[in-house]
Amino acid sequence: MKRVFITGMGVISAIGNTVTENHSALKNRVCGITMPPHSSPDLSQVPLAEVSSSNQLLRERLQVFDPAVTRTTLLALHAFREAVQDAGLTAEQISSDHTALIGGTTVGGMSQSDELYRDVSERYAASPFLSSYDCSSVFMFLQEQYRMKGIIDTINTACSSAGNAIGFGMRLIRSGLAGKAIVGGADSLSKFTISGFNALHILSPEICRPFDRSRQGLNLGEGAAFLVLEGEDEIGPNKKIYAEVRGYYNASDAFHPTSLSANGEGPYLAMQGALGTAGLRAGDVDFINAHGTATENNDESESRAMIRVFSEPPPFASTKSNTGHTLGAAAALEAVYSLLSLEHQEIYPSLHFSAVIPGTELQPVTTYYRSPLRHVMTNSFGFGGNCVSLIFSKS
Amino acid sequence: MDNTELKQQLKEQVIQFLNLTSLKPADIADNEPFFGEGLGLDSIDSLELIVLLNRMYGITIKDPKEGRKVLVDIETMADYIEKHRTK
Amino acid sequence: MLYIHQAVAISPQEIISNKLEVREPSYEGIPRNLLRRMGKSVRMGIGASAPLLRSSPRPVSGIVIGTGNGGTADSYSFLEQMKEYGESLLTPGSFAQSTSNAMASQLSMMDQNKNYNLTHVHRGLAFEMALLDVSLLSLEDVSAFYLLAGVDELSPSNYALDEMEGWYPPETIAGEGASAFLVSGQAQDATAAVRAVATLHTTDVEVVRERLRKFLATHLPEGERISCFVCGENGDARLNGYYKACEGLMDRDTSVLPFKRLCGEYPTASAFALWLAHHKLSGAQNYLIYNIYKGRQHGFILLTGIPR
Repeated sequence: MKRVFITGMGVISAIGNTVTENHSALKNRVCGITMPPHSSPDLSQVPLAEVSSSNQLLRERLQVFDPAVTRTTLLALHAFREAVQDAGLTAEQISSDHTALIGGTTVGGMSQSDELYRDVSERYAASPFLSSYDCSSVFMFLQEQYRMKGIIDTINTACSSAGNAIGFGMRLIRSGLAGKAIVGGADSLSKFTISGFNALHILSPEICRPFDRSRQGLNLGEGAAFLVLEGEDEIGPNKKIYAEVRGYYNASDAFHPTSLSANGEGPYLAMQGALGTAGLRAGDVDFINAHGTATENNDESESRAMIRVFSEPPPFASTKSNTGHTLGAAAALEAVYSLLSLEHQEIYPSLHFSAVIPGTELQPVTTYYRSPLRHVMTNSFGFGGNCVSLIFSKS
Repeated sequence: MDNTELKQQLKEQVIQFLNLTSLKPADIADNEPFFGEGLGLDSIDSLELIVLLNRMYGITIKDPKEGRKVLVDIETMADYIEKHRTK
Repeated sequence: MLYIHQAVAISPQEIISNKLEVREPSYEGIPRNLLRRMGKSVRMGIGASAPLLRSSPRPVSGIVIGTGNGGTADSYSFLEQMKEYGESLLTPGSFAQSTSNAMASQLSMMDQNKNYNLTHVHRGLAFEMALLDVSLLSLEDVSAFYLLAGVDELSPSNYALDEMEGWYPPETIAGEGASAFLVSGQAQDATAAVRAVATLHTTDVEVVRERLRKFLATHLPEGERISCFVCGENGDARLNGYYKACEGLMDRDTSVLPFKRLCGEYPTASAFALWLAHHKLSGAQNYLIYNIYKGRQHGFILLTGIPR
């Protein structure tokens, strides 16, 4: 089976505007989640992890002034640029009909919730946003900017969207339908999402505490990240390679629309499945970047699932303690962080942890340290029980 | 409003809030459990009922777990409303 | 090759002003408790898919959905609630239903199906992407069955946005529907086969024509012809150039079937086209489906009948 490698990455999040900045922040325990008040009057009275750049700043930096381009798309463009530059892709390679673009997002243009309400209720035909609200607007914009002629797709499976985007891109390359795939996700903070999560009572009034017994819920974040995937036959001799996409699996928890089953069936099946597709045993995984949203439900179910798969799980951490939960972008950000671990042979700490969840006795990594790593697993579990597990291997 | 009237009103509101379109108030017994075997509601429904208590009766329940103690059936919910309503 | 074993469509049966709206069936066999929470697109999608899940020879190995607007109606309901009640103490029901993958996950819960589950939302190519996804899955495990569906509802909020953008000139009718298919990688007991699917984003007629020419050269077997051109023309004259160019690559005796007269315009109308083509073709005919959405997204599907 054709091997698929990662040759470029880009990321923007609450802890940095580049891969380098994010890397330094992870090493140095930087937390991008802040208590209110926040920069935008739209954002409410809960802790949030905002990207530090305003829309105006993003527009100036990216030289994109069309008002129809929403924040989610601006973040996506920023990360996309870094990734393709990092991979050294030429304009021809990006626009080639053999290069795919697969993206995940849950918010899309809904960061403009007020405008959507206005446009519909007042029939405001002059609105620039009429085709900006849906999820696909983000990746349709990138397709147009870069004149991409290959397969373009948008995926929304809630919090696992970008994980499925990475998996789909990998499968397209393996099948020969693409030689390269630019894959990832983007999401921005929106009143709509904050209100929705608030109504579900899963937002924490404090900075989140993944895997901690006193955890009270998640903090929402925003960001975008992309990976450039290339098939082994496409990669020239001197090309820098970060790692191989070794395993990908998608399984369903099939229990409830917004919470996981108590024994973490979906997460368990996803992790087992990823090991199977990777041809690895549980003991081969050196580190797990966990989903770890810090909700009461997720962290306990995820812990039980890890115990079922690994008996004694390898070191694990949740970078959501640094970046908040970036929803449709989460799996992409966390893929980048997993790749940084592999590249630099180091493990970044999970923040805000003090006591284990009773009954699981699982403690995440709490200090930075260097360690030989060959295989890193990253997990993302979405609303609707959509569970994704990815395994990256040092090549 | 006496307790019987309140329970009748409450049944109508529960049906409306939870979109239980196949039910009429007469189909819901006062002691039919909301969760488990009775009406078969789930955790999203309990959050919706907490909103019902707030919007219709001015009662605020901050913790959904507290809510589950109150939201047992129509009877317990009506008793709680009588004691705590501000509207 | 992706084989179709069964297909169900829930499609419009009446025209109300210039919209083709579905008159919903009774949804027998679907738990009332689940139905009550579902918006129309989820109900239609479940209504079309559930019978296929029941009649599949074995539990499906994947549930793959395409929806362009799925979730938008519920998103807008939640927004209305936000406006009316401020941002505190809102009912979460419509928010929980507003994720585009609500339908796919409801199916997995109803069927207790823990296998692959994906929702593609790439607007006018959401169904083509779901079809491509399932085609790839079917290569990985030839004996497995999969559920594939394309679903979209005609919600007032989506209609308002599209109409303001000019996508409903007087000759174009808005529509909605859900079309579902039980598919696999094996020919036995199948009634048709999808030979290939291709997608592109362009506003250049020549690019479209060239793409179709290559598509047919690659996937239409030597010596065979297209019996029917299943065409997504929707009355919008701005799109005539593309349809004419592609029709020009057909034979003189290829019939033309403009499917949107039956289902109206919506992002996953090509799923209805596939249902219709599957329904109409006989023997070993080749049907070519060509659909355009909002002038920029183009999809081709080549379907071949399997003689019984």
